[in-house]
Amino acid sequence: MNPLRVALAVARKDLRSEWRTREVVPALAQFIILALLIGNFGFQIDSRNATTIAPGILWLALVFAGLVAFGRTFAAEREQASLEAMLMTPASPVAIFAGKALAAGALLVICEAVLLPALSILFGTPFSGEVVAAVLLATFGMAALGVLFAAIVARVRARELLLPLLTLPLWIPFVIAGGVAVQSAMGLPGNYQQAIGLLIDFDILFVVLTSLAARFVLDE
Amino acid sequence: MNRYEKAAAAAVALMLAAAGAIFLYAPGDALQGPVQRIFYLHVSSAIAAYGCFAVVLVGGIIYLRNESPAADRFARAGALVGVVFTTVTLVMGMLWAKPIWGSFWTWDARLTSTLVLWIIYAGYLLVRRLAEPGRQAARIAAVVGIFGFIDVPVVHFSVTWWRTQHPGPIVVNNALPAEMLATFLFTLACTLVLAAVLIAIRYRIETLLDAKVAIAEPAKLVSAQQPEAAP
Repeated sequence: MNPLRVALAVARKDLRSEWRTREVVPALAQFIILALLIGNFGFQIDSRNATTIAPGILWLALVFAGLVAFGRTFAAEREQASLEAMLMTPASPVAIFAGKALAAGALLVICEAVLLPALSILFGTPFSGEVVAAVLLATFGMAALGVLFAAIVARVRARELLLPLLTLPLWIPFVIAGGVAVQSAMGLPGNYQQAIGLLIDFDILFVVLTSLAARFVLDE
Repeated sequence: MNRYEKAAAAAVALMLAAAGAIFLYAPGDALQGPVQRIFYLHVSSAIAAYGCFAVVLVGGIIYLRNESPAADRFARAGALVGVVFTTVTLVMGMLWAKPIWGSFWTWDARLTSTLVLWIIYAGYLLVRRLAEPGRQAARIAAVVGIFGFIDVPVVHFSVTWWRTQHPGPIVVNNALPAEMLATFLFTLACTLVLAAVLIAIRYRIETLLDAKVAIAEPAKLVSAQQPEAAP
């Protein structure tokens, strides 16, 4: 079986089931708007300080929306015990994992399509291709790590407790580099080129590592 | 006294000797005064913590390769002892930072990456507590341990690239006077012995806990087969 086709088939299945139920994306979009609302009350935001505060709110909203999205990745599979069925097929567990990560990452990208314009409209920060590129690059690696750990905790009792504890520390490199990239794209000091280069390095590192580890996590 | 008690007593005696060297033998620092004496145990316990997490890494890799329960017990013992030493490092560092930097905490590269280290391995211990003990917990924990070990240099590198104010490495740069270097090396050796003894004792405890689970397991199966009596 061609692993690429397996991965795409799994991703298509997940996205189709999301399209039919429309559970995760609307909930996450609302979650993101709420995060912006809370950010507005937590800080005294005006036109002078918006660019210094908005990148922080962006990453907080994105990281927590990501946790919710990736925590849901294996929920349906667990309820129907369909993961076991998929693993019984000759398809490689790594390809199945890649498909799940692709679908979860795509859902998060859809939520970013709400987050970035909303941030720009509500706080008046610049909305540019540079911001989008930084957020997308970070999403890529975060999805790989997030879905790996979602798979890890899927069969553990207190999975809601464990997922943030395990995933957030591993996401910190993405938040550091992505934070600098978004800040400099919004006009604050920071080396944009270097930050983007780091994000690409982290993406490569963690995608390779998660695909090596996926075999041990899914293979039961 | 069994051999674990003897080893523990020896490790405690060594730590007391190190304390003697730190407070009586080592000269005071011209600029920082007595606060500088924190350095000896602070750096030693940081190195001991890294050593413990290396045990977790190696134990995890061996477990994923051949499912050896001994490797997993070593990983468990290393994580627990490593978290203790990381806590010591963080607390002593904060005590040093208050008089020298003027605040307990700054978001410096080493401080941030040490805090992340602590969080990752505290999470590792939580996974071990929450996951169903046995093969599954061991595999999950092995993956967490390996990712944790890789993440720490990555976090460290990214924060260093961002900003740093922690004192640079002075031991390798020959910047220490001979008495201070001798005190440091002695304290480091004693701390590493303490860490090794703690891991050995913890390994023994984990072995006994595993044996207890193995004994309790058949009993549970038998009781599960019998229908529960109606109240």
